[in-house]
Amino acid sequence: MRLRLVQSLRIATLLILAAACGAAAPLPPLYTQWINYTPANGFPPGEVYCVAPDGNRVWAGTANGLVLLENGRVKKVFTTADGLAGDAVMSVAVDKMTGDVWVGALGGLSRYSGGRFKNYTNLSSGLANDLVYGVAVQGRYVWVATAAGVNRFDTYSGDWSIWNETNAPFNEPWCYGIAVTKKKVYVAAWGGGVLVYDLAGHYWKPYTDPDHSMEIVLYRNEGLIHNIVSGIAYNPELHMFWASTYFGLSGFDGRNWHNYLTKDSGLASNFISAVQSRGSEVWACTQKGLSEFDYKTKIWVTYRPVNWRALDAAKAVKDGPGEIIMSWPDGKKRKIETPTSLAHNYILNVAFQGKDIWVATAQGLSHGIVEPQQEKKLYDSFTNGR
Amino acid sequence: MRGGNGKPGIARVGGKWRVCLTIVLFWVAGSRRAAGAGWSERWDSDPGYLNPIDLEISPGGSRLYVVCQESNEVRVVDTRTHEVIGRVKVGLKPEAIALSPDGKTLYVSNEHSDSVTEIDARSLRVRGVLKTGWGPVGLTTDRTGKFLYVANTLENDVSIINLATGHQVKRVETSRFPEYMDLSRSGNHIYVSNLIARLGPYYRPPVSEVTVINTRKQMVSERISVPGVIELRHIAQVPRSAGGYLLIPFMRPKNLNALIQIPQGWYLTHGMAVIWPRHSGGRPRARVTEVLLDDIDHYYADGTGAAVTPNGDWALITAASANVVSIINVARLNRLLQQIPVNDPEALADRLDSARHFVARRLPTGRDPTAVAVSPDNHYAYITNRLDDSISVVNLRSLRIVSTIDLGGPKEITVLRRGEQLFHDARFCYEGQFACVTCHPHGGLSNGLTWSFETPKLGHDLVQNRTLRSIAGTSPFNWNGMNPNLEVQDGPRTEMYIFRSQGFSPSEVRDLTSFVRSLRLPPDPYDDPGGDLTPAQRRGRAIFFRTKTNDGRLIPLHDRCYYCHAPLTHYTSRVQMNVGTATPHDTIQSFDVPQLQGVWMRAPYLHNGEALTLEEIWTKFNAHNQHGFTSDMNKAQLNDLVEFLKTL
Repeated sequence: MRLRLVQSLRIATLLILAAACGAAAPLPPLYTQWINYTPANGFPPGEVYCVAPDGNRVWAGTANGLVLLENGRVKKVFTTADGLAGDAVMSVAVDKMTGDVWVGALGGLSRYSGGRFKNYTNLSSGLANDLVYGVAVQGRYVWVATAAGVNRFDTYSGDWSIWNETNAPFNEPWCYGIAVTKKKVYVAAWGGGVLVYDLAGHYWKPYTDPDHSMEIVLYRNEGLIHNIVSGIAYNPELHMFWASTYFGLSGFDGRNWHNYLTKDSGLASNFISAVQSRGSEVWACTQKGLSEFDYKTKIWVTYRPVNWRALDAAKAVKDGPGEIIMSWPDGKKRKIETPTSLAHNYILNVAFQGKDIWVATAQGLSHGIVEPQQEKKLYDSFTNGR
Repeated sequence: MRGGNGKPGIARVGGKWRVCLTIVLFWVAGSRRAAGAGWSERWDSDPGYLNPIDLEISPGGSRLYVVCQESNEVRVVDTRTHEVIGRVKVGLKPEAIALSPDGKTLYVSNEHSDSVTEIDARSLRVRGVLKTGWGPVGLTTDRTGKFLYVANTLENDVSIINLATGHQVKRVETSRFPEYMDLSRSGNHIYVSNLIARLGPYYRPPVSEVTVINTRKQMVSERISVPGVIELRHIAQVPRSAGGYLLIPFMRPKNLNALIQIPQGWYLTHGMAVIWPRHSGGRPRARVTEVLLDDIDHYYADGTGAAVTPNGDWALITAASANVVSIINVARLNRLLQQIPVNDPEALADRLDSARHFVARRLPTGRDPTAVAVSPDNHYAYITNRLDDSISVVNLRSLRIVSTIDLGGPKEITVLRRGEQLFHDARFCYEGQFACVTCHPHGGLSNGLTWSFETPKLGHDLVQNRTLRSIAGTSPFNWNGMNPNLEVQDGPRTEMYIFRSQGFSPSEVRDLTSFVRSLRLPPDPYDDPGGDLTPAQRRGRAIFFRTKTNDGRLIPLHDRCYYCHAPLTHYTSRVQMNVGTATPHDTIQSFDVPQLQGVWMRAPYLHNGEALTLEEIWTKFNAHNQHGFTSDMNKAQLNDLVEFLKTL
């Protein structure tokens, strides 16, 4: 009885806080329905590295080609046989202006336009390296994160620019991710921290672990949590960039760092492969599930299969149940089971399509859907302590 | 880099003093402009030719709007009186014209001003000038008239311009050298024909492209492959009631055969692509077939202009180098098309007996008929004769030329004018198969193909076609440097190896070479008019003129870029060099050093076209540093070098 009372008070406090913040701080969405794409329904086997919704279509980069989903079905799996630069597709970006799809592959950069691929490689173009991990479109420019630096490709003039350890403050030029805004470019460098390029000033600013060591920061919010940065995202609503590392999650608001570890947050694992952001939400793709952090309410939500410990790299969930773990700002946690689940606990990336999310896992692609009634029921159950 | 004898050639030609002088003079000169000249410069006293190249007909059919490429104007012709009733100045080298859907506004692309002139069609008052990409040619509005689409030939894309603001809203990528475009009859799509074939795998037949833009989404919705052909030109649309397809003239080369080995003579044909786009009829992909317009014993070189009567009865295709318009009976063409198996779309692509089934009449036009327009009442067609400054009028009921409209150009024929006419004349070639312009279209451009011409060994000495633009002062010529001057190149050599027919007279050779010498590169968009280089270009220039490797070792003179590509002589030393690019198919090892001016638009590269991009010259074909010492360079340096080369 006392526990219920405490829980009710906690929820009530949270709702009051949320109300105080206005409509901009709703409770985080709860994804209770998952549709998985695995070899069972025509999806290629193996890792899914990235995903990019494109209208009613979804592009997914996998270890075995680029997948086009249309209206919830696998329409086509593109491989090198179709002209793709490489079968392992690490990143996809849709140019909303032209409709062209830019594909970063282990083998080069591909541009899919009007049903055809055009490839850019290290030997045939100004591409810095054929291992392309990240790609982002910024108007006429395409930014590319490669294993040997960052490229900017001018789609009008065909000019290529390179930034690496020779002309920019890259400790390591091995770049894993890239995000762009109208004014800045954010780069995740594996071992090199985060680098931010100012388009107006034409300069790079590095953000690295202040310890200058390959250990995590000594003090919690001292700086970037670690120099091995696997992904980067900019959140225009929070005016923050978020960096995923293999040792925790870091956010920077221009003045202060906000670091998160499993030991003091709801983060499922400190080993994070990618980070994405939407509204006030920050999504960390960890090896032990997909963790969402609502920056305004400070609520954490993690999604993973119930039997995730039994899964290995060669096995994906088919129709197994999932679990949602909610962590409240006061450290309390609650676990809920859902009838369906993410395809795998090892999460490699996530993307948003309206309210829906698409999750790239080590064994298949998952489509997460909010069921409003179910969501309300769950939140009510928290409030009522049912 | 070594001379043909395998020895460093620098000792023969001047040593260090020459090198120092070269560098100093280059820096003093500041840029390539020391060797080039502006587009507006004329090489002889020009009496003011017009060169009508494109035309539009007013919605009611009472007026012709004629784009005059040489005089930089639009002339207006009354279709009843055949009199020129107005004219308006536009930008430099206007190429194409489009009318707004309401017929009230004219849009004219200015290839050398990188702009479109917007003109009130009634008053001929210039309303404004719209900025485009580089080298705009084809253009059209969408169905609403709110957006203008302009093909930027030098950037391989299409600018989409909001006509309310006059600003470009976006660009979409095409294939290579997009030249003409046309709005579909439904208004939902825009078709773009690309003059040059895609850059593809070496030693494979060319594949050209028709790019389809969805006007609602303003995105490329389809890239239609047209196999085995190059030089796609004007686009004509057969109405749905008569077949619902596109007709696009092309040239179908047989460059993978050694031409002289064809026992029946030459084999380089001209025809038209017949395309049913994907969106017309709900096909999963476009259906493409090809039909030749040539006859067995006479060819109709350089199909260029194309139009279909509104009722779909007749199609007209001009053969620009044959000075002929072919009038096609569409119903008979449809019957032939029905015989082509769906699974063998190229079944008729090489058949020289096809045209007799559907060509109703071949009518002689003036010189270089480039464009054709049909009156709304289906009664008349008008054809621009670019090198006669006139318009041929075809009566489509009698299928005869009934009149020739004089646009008012000068009657005097200069040396250059005669040379240009010869350049565009296929009658000197065996069976009229082609003219100089066939392989060097659009002002001497290279058509980007590799040929086998001059050897008795089948498949040997494959040679990349080079541009003729700005070749004055770059002798000797030919890939092996065997032709000491243009007179030999264009005279005896052309007679013997190219045309295989009646040669030019001495005066004709003089006229022709004068014209070829006058061909110029377009303005270099990479070159800042103020003379400044970007940081990358400056770094690239330092690499071009460097004397030491990255680790401080002296680079031998003959391994420096500027040794073979000397700035003062158009970036060519004008000798033959062995740069290690000979293949087992080559009978020689040393090749003529090409000039570098305009190198950014000359892909593919090397004597045989094996390098598809500038980067590949060094990343794939310079393993032993024979083509300059480059192995110490990192990727950023190579990119900088490429950026500098693009300014030349």
